[in-house]
Amino acid sequence: MELTISRAEILAILPAGMVFITGLMQLFVDLGKSSTDTRSEKTHLAMIGVTGILLGFSALFIQGVESSAGALYAGAMTDDLFGRMGAGVILVAALFCTLMSGGYLASSGNNRAEFHSLICFSAGAMVLLCQATNLISIFVAIETLSLAVYVLAGYFKNNRSASEGAFKYFVIGAFSSGFLLLGMAFIYGTSGGSISLADIAASNAHADPLFAVGTLLMIIGFAFKVGAVPFHSWVPDVYQAAPALSVGWMAVAVKSASFFAFCRFLLFAEGGQALTQILSAIAVITMLLGNLAALNQTSLKRMMAYSGIAHSGYLLIPLVLAVSGAGASAGASIPFYLFGYAATTLAAFGVIAAISVVTDRDDVNDLDGLARTRPLLATGFTIALISLAGIPLTAGFIGKLMIFRDAVEGGFLFLALVGIIGSIISVYYYLRPVVAMWFREPRSSFDLIPASWGVQFTVAICGFATIALGLFPNWLVDLSKMSVSAILG
Amino acid sequence: MIPELNSFNLPILSLVVLTPTICSLLLFFVDRNNKALIRQIALMGSFLTLFFSILMVGNFDSNTGTMQLEEQHNWIESLGISYHLGVDGISILLVLLTSFTMPFVLLSTWSSINDRVKEFHIAILLLQTGMIGAFLALDLILFYLFYEAMLIPMYLIIGIWGGKERIYAALKFFIFTMVGSLLMFLAILYLYQHTGTFDLPVLLDKLKTTNPLDSGQQFWLFLAFTLSFAIKVPLFPFHTWLPDAHVQAPTAGSVVLAGVLLKMGTYGILRFAIPLFPEAAFDLQSMMCWLSIIGIIFGACMALVQNDIKKLIAYSSVSHLGFVVLACFIPNLESLTGAVLQMVNHGLSTGMLFLMIGIIYERRHTRELADYGGICKVVPLFSIFFLIAVLSSIGLPGLNGFVGEFLLLYGVFSSVPLWGILASTGVVLGALYMLNMVKKFLFGPLVHSENNDISDLNTREVIYLLPFVAMMIWLGLYPAPFIKLVQPTLTLYVEMLKN
Repeated sequence: MELTISRAEILAILPAGMVFITGLMQLFVDLGKSSTDTRSEKTHLAMIGVTGILLGFSALFIQGVESSAGALYAGAMTDDLFGRMGAGVILVAALFCTLMSGGYLASSGNNRAEFHSLICFSAGAMVLLCQATNLISIFVAIETLSLAVYVLAGYFKNNRSASEGAFKYFVIGAFSSGFLLLGMAFIYGTSGGSISLADIAASNAHADPLFAVGTLLMIIGFAFKVGAVPFHSWVPDVYQAAPALSVGWMAVAVKSASFFAFCRFLLFAEGGQALTQILSAIAVITMLLGNLAALNQTSLKRMMAYSGIAHSGYLLIPLVLAVSGAGASAGASIPFYLFGYAATTLAAFGVIAAISVVTDRDDVNDLDGLARTRPLLATGFTIALISLAGIPLTAGFIGKLMIFRDAVEGGFLFLALVGIIGSIISVYYYLRPVVAMWFREPRSSFDLIPASWGVQFTVAICGFATIALGLFPNWLVDLSKMSVSAILG
Repeated sequence: MIPELNSFNLPILSLVVLTPTICSLLLFFVDRNNKALIRQIALMGSFLTLFFSILMVGNFDSNTGTMQLEEQHNWIESLGISYHLGVDGISILLVLLTSFTMPFVLLSTWSSINDRVKEFHIAILLLQTGMIGAFLALDLILFYLFYEAMLIPMYLIIGIWGGKERIYAALKFFIFTMVGSLLMFLAILYLYQHTGTFDLPVLLDKLKTTNPLDSGQQFWLFLAFTLSFAIKVPLFPFHTWLPDAHVQAPTAGSVVLAGVLLKMGTYGILRFAIPLFPEAAFDLQSMMCWLSIIGIIFGACMALVQNDIKKLIAYSSVSHLGFVVLACFIPNLESLTGAVLQMVNHGLSTGMLFLMIGIIYERRHTRELADYGGICKVVPLFSIFFLIAVLSSIGLPGLNGFVGEFLLLYGVFSSVPLWGILASTGVVLGALYMLNMVKKFLFGPLVHSENNDISDLNTREVIYLLPFVAMMIWLGLYPAPFIKLVQPTLTLYVEMLKN
């Protein structure tokens, strides 16, 4: 069989390929550098990273907005707007993580090229995951990105708790992959041996109860990845143990990529009544438990972990709509919401990374008086928290508006109500860091946090983007809608 | 007298809304140590807003009762949200009240706020945009944006510049308000699903003609809207956040809170809850009225036993706004006119009382009634101004409070005499607690020697108090121009409710 690669196929692989190559280059450049060098900021690594990621990002714009390349690589992946939106979120996150990592790693005395290139490697795999259209490529992409992220979670290998967290993450990750794979096997078996999502949707396997079992198993697998209750218990532990910046990367990119793939999968595999009920039950308990458990946390990382769980709950609402067969419009809020979520969460973890370097902790009290010592960081973090709470004039508000509006229109008023109750609860814990930063005085002069330019830049840009998206969301909302309706063609 | 600006096609409402925001953006670029410049810029901005509001009134046709000076632009088309502003008789006085209060509030902070001056002015100017925007917005989501956007600056003002228990009070304020407004948000989304629009005039029309709601839907939606507004008013039993917030807030915060922010609740009831869901409002009329009456009497009784002057006035707000809510639910012209006027009157009198308590607190650092007594001999000018504010709050004929209260009670009497009688006891109690407070505060023997050397009002203080007194007298002696602004709209409103 002759191997031919079309132009469309090259273009489709270009963004992921760029970041993979970038990761390799970072490794090679740092090769042979002595280990005493780990306290310097190594701006050249960041430069390579930024250039490569920006090249990958610009590759997303080669194809027109509305063009979809159809099935590429024998149906393994596609190059449509939805995939490009996902890639956009991930590459933006990778860009900012790269910018922040130099300063962060240098001040913790462990700046090696591995961290930078692992971010690039996992970013490449995530981009592929967003574009994947058959079961095999979904699985391979998930495994690839997970491997890189396991290492990132345990990057500080001398730190016992970080290693423990990484191990826990690895075991749970392997466990959830098992669920995914088993579900895929069921689907493969019942749909007459097809692995492509389009073929599965076209086959008449939907009536088969085993097909529903397969879909449920895959839902469980994805639920592990996005941290939905009751498959969430690893999230707070891993978040607390892992380095702050790795956690930021996990919270933004792993979650975004998983949700993009999850959404694409569910739009093809309509699930019927039973699955709709199961998934809405998961969404309800995820929203409630995530928000309730966050109330009591004094560790910022744990708080953000539970808040991330709650946000997974909100994001499950459009997926419930997708499963119930509400059609393509169901997932329209997902790309927009994840863009907003990425901006806010990156800003938040930028600040958390900055304080954890000095204090070696991530307690809410460590933020005391930040508005006096670091007004820029405090303002950016405040905007991020306000947006996460869904208060108007921020991207988070528009995202919630889209999700809840779709829920009400799709006849799931109950889900919207639970989401609203969750948001009310969340206000309480999102305000706690605000209180510490603005209402309390700095405890001592030693607490001045050395914020690297990367962190300052990230927090400023993310804060600005959060407000800008809250004021002028039109273009992104349109793109989101277009991208989702283009999936099913 | 005021130039006609129609020919210029000036977006006058946007100017009123956005001037404070533009001014606050300007402040970002001012050095934080240059306090004088920051204060001057903010003051200029607020006077400019006042100027634009007066232009707005000048261009307002007081013979028509419909929305005027409307501006509508597409904003977030893909979500059906538009930038739609308009003003009518209900909102015009409240906008005027807001932009009237703000410059004098800013003047009052020149001595009281010395820490983080830049942040303070940015916050309070953003707050002003939020308040005026909420009064003018005609798109439900736009209204919600402004309504929520007010929360953050107010929260920061209480939390940063407030008293000892400020963090608790700020949090309580925020969470109470947020609970109500998020439920209202859900109701707004439900309305959108039902009618396909967020635009208030279109929505009202559709609810009446093509997409009527059944009574169950009306009931729940009305409750969601009213809960949000009832918390903001605050209506008994949702009032518990108010005394805390008032006592802990800095003077400027209290003035804005009592003067304007609380009116957001009564305005919301008048503008949204009742017109959108008239049947449910009618069904729940007696419940709402009883709650208001309980609030009137309860607030007054609580005010009677307070030792902290600020807390006393906070409870008097609960009582006074009870009157307004009561009148909102009695659909006749007199009671509604009284309600709108009373919102303004309460803003003026309570605002001035809080300003004056701020003045005395700056000098003596206590608000306990027991620490004062007999200071009228030491600070005669202060006492005169304070007495005027108190008498205006009680409703003495010749001052503003009387006109509104009289119309309001007349309206209530003519439809349900029992409620009128019960509400009137609130007036009597009002005189009781206010005069009692004045007696302990200003008159009697001078027992505390610390009070001997309190300095009287200085020029700056007289400058920012005088406009309040002038407005009180104007509204008290010659309220006709104000009533004329309000009544065409309310006439239409009453007719609309009768159908």
